[in-house]
Amino acid sequence: MKSISLYQDKNTVIHRIDPLSKILYILVAIIVPFLLASQIASAAFILVSIIILLMGKSLKRTVPMLGFSGLILITVVIIQGIFRPDNVTPALVLGSVVFYKEGLLFALGISLNVINILMSFSILVLTTKPSDMVETFVRMGLSPKLGYVLSSVFQIIPQMTETMATITDAQRSRGMETEGNLTTRVKAFFPLISPVVMNSLITTKERAIALEVRGFDSKQKKTFLTEVKKTRSEKVIKIVLAAVLILSLIGRVLIWLR
Amino acid sequence: MSNIEIKDMYFSYTENEPVLNGINLTLDSRTTAIIGQNGAGKTTFVKLLKGLLKPTHGQIFWDGKDISQMTVAQLAKYIGLVFQNPNDQIFKGKVIDEVMFGPINIGMSQEDALDHARKALSIVGLAGTEDENPYDMGLSDRKMIAIASILAMDTDVVIFDEPTIAQDYKAKEKIKQIIRQLKSDGKMVLTIIHDMDFVAECFERTIVFAKGNVLLDGPTAEVFAQKEKLTQAYLEPPHVTQLCNRLGYQQTFLTVEDFVAYVKRTLKK
Repeated sequence: MKSISLYQDKNTVIHRIDPLSKILYILVAIIVPFLLASQIASAAFILVSIIILLMGKSLKRTVPMLGFSGLILITVVIIQGIFRPDNVTPALVLGSVVFYKEGLLFALGISLNVINILMSFSILVLTTKPSDMVETFVRMGLSPKLGYVLSSVFQIIPQMTETMATITDAQRSRGMETEGNLTTRVKAFFPLISPVVMNSLITTKERAIALEVRGFDSKQKKTFLTEVKKTRSEKVIKIVLAAVLILSLIGRVLIWLR
Repeated sequence: MSNIEIKDMYFSYTENEPVLNGINLTLDSRTTAIIGQNGAGKTTFVKLLKGLLKPTHGQIFWDGKDISQMTVAQLAKYIGLVFQNPNDQIFKGKVIDEVMFGPINIGMSQEDALDHARKALSIVGLAGTEDENPYDMGLSDRKMIAIASILAMDTDVVIFDEPTIAQDYKAKEKIKQIIRQLKSDGKMVLTIIHDMDFVAECFERTIVFAKGNVLLDGPTAEVFAQKEKLTQAYLEPPHVTQLCNRLGYQQTFLTVEDFVAYVKRTLKK
C-alpha cells in the first residue's frame, strides 16, 4: 500500500528514539536561537539536525522540502536585500540593482530560522512512524478518539486511492475510456465516483462496527499495546536537551543583566 | 481459434522488486486455471493480459497482434476480465443498465446490447431481475451481475479473478456451468483461483505460478500429480486426489466421480 506519510521504515538509531525526545528537540532547536537571538545558534542547530538526519539515513528526503521553501527564501533575500527601509551599506552591485548589507543579513536570519525549523521537524516526520507519533500524543493526554482520527487518516487515504485505482481498472476493462478530452473525462466521472462513494460508505460502516465490538467507546481508561522502553540513553537525551534549554535561558538573563 | 502468446515477459511495480520474471506461455482454447500462492504474480499477470499494466520487458500477442499497440478500451472488445469484488464496478441503479454498460462501451448498438445483456443475465440465473437495484441484492448476486456484465460483452476471452470466493455450493455450481457454457461457445476461459477442488473439476489446463515464474504448466491431472513441486509452491492437490494418494492408488484422480467410476469398474472385474 502506498503511504501518504513521509515516514520511511529504516532500522537506525534515530528511528528508535522516543518521539517525545524528538518533539523536545524541535522545541529546543526553535526556542534556543530565539532566546539567544543568535544566528550562530540557528546555524549550529541546522548542523546538528543534518547530522541526525544523516544518521537516520533520511537527509536526501529533505531535499524536496528545502527546494520548495528555498524558492520562497530566495524572494525574501531579493526583496529584503534591495528594499529593506534601513538599508544603507551597499554590499553587492549588479548593474542598476543594489543589494544592501542590512537587508541581506536580515534575510539570512530569516532563512536560517526557516531552515532550522524545517530540519528539526524533518527529524520527527521522516523518522517516526505516524502511529507511534499519535500514540505519544495520546500518552501526553490527547483524547484517544482524536488520536484514532489522526492515525486513521494515514490508513484511509491510501486505502481510498487504492480502491480508486481498482475501480478505474474495472471500468476500463469494460471498455470505458478514462483518458482523453474533457467530455470523455466527464463521462467517466459517474462510473468511477459512485463505486468509490458506495465502497467508502460500506467500509466506514464496517469500520465503525469493528471498532465498537472492540470497545472503542468504552469509558474505561485505555492502556497501550506497546510499552515505552525507558532506556538510559533516552533519559540522557532528554536531560541534555533540557539542560541546553535551561542554559540558554540563563544566558538570556545574563545578557539582560549586562 | 484465437490465442494469446506471451513472450519473455518481465514486470515489476518498483525497481529491484520483480513480480514476473520472464514468462513464456501460449494460451489456447483449453479452459485454464492459474494457481499459486498469494503474491505469486497471478493478478498482475492477468492485468498485463488486459493491458491494464504494461510489461517492463517482453511482449504479449493477441492473435499475432502486439497488445501494447492497443488501448485498454480497444482490448476490451476481445478480452473480458471479471474483477474479484463486484463493488468495484457496479454503479448503475438498475441491473440491466449495469450489464449493458460494457457492451455499449465497446460499440454495440442499443438493441444488441440489450439482447446480449438479457442473455447474459439468464446464463448467470438472474433473468427477471433486470429492473432491480444491484445494491438491494446480496453479494453473491452482485458477483453474478459482475460476471454477466462481462459475458454480455461477448469477448473471445473471459478471465475470472477468484470467482468462487465467498460463494456457496449453489453459486459455485452455477459458475462451473457458466465456464462450461463459455467453453462450448468456443471462448477462451482463464481463471485465477485458490479452490483446488474446483480447478480439478473444471479446468483442462493448469498453470502454477510461484515467485513470478511458471513452475508447472500442463493438463490438470499431470500438474496435480507433481506433489513435490506443488509443495514447493505451497499448494495442495484437490481433496480427492490427496485421499486416493493416501489410499495408495497410483493414478491421479481429480474428481470424486472419476474415483467412484474407477472403483466400480475394478469391482466388476
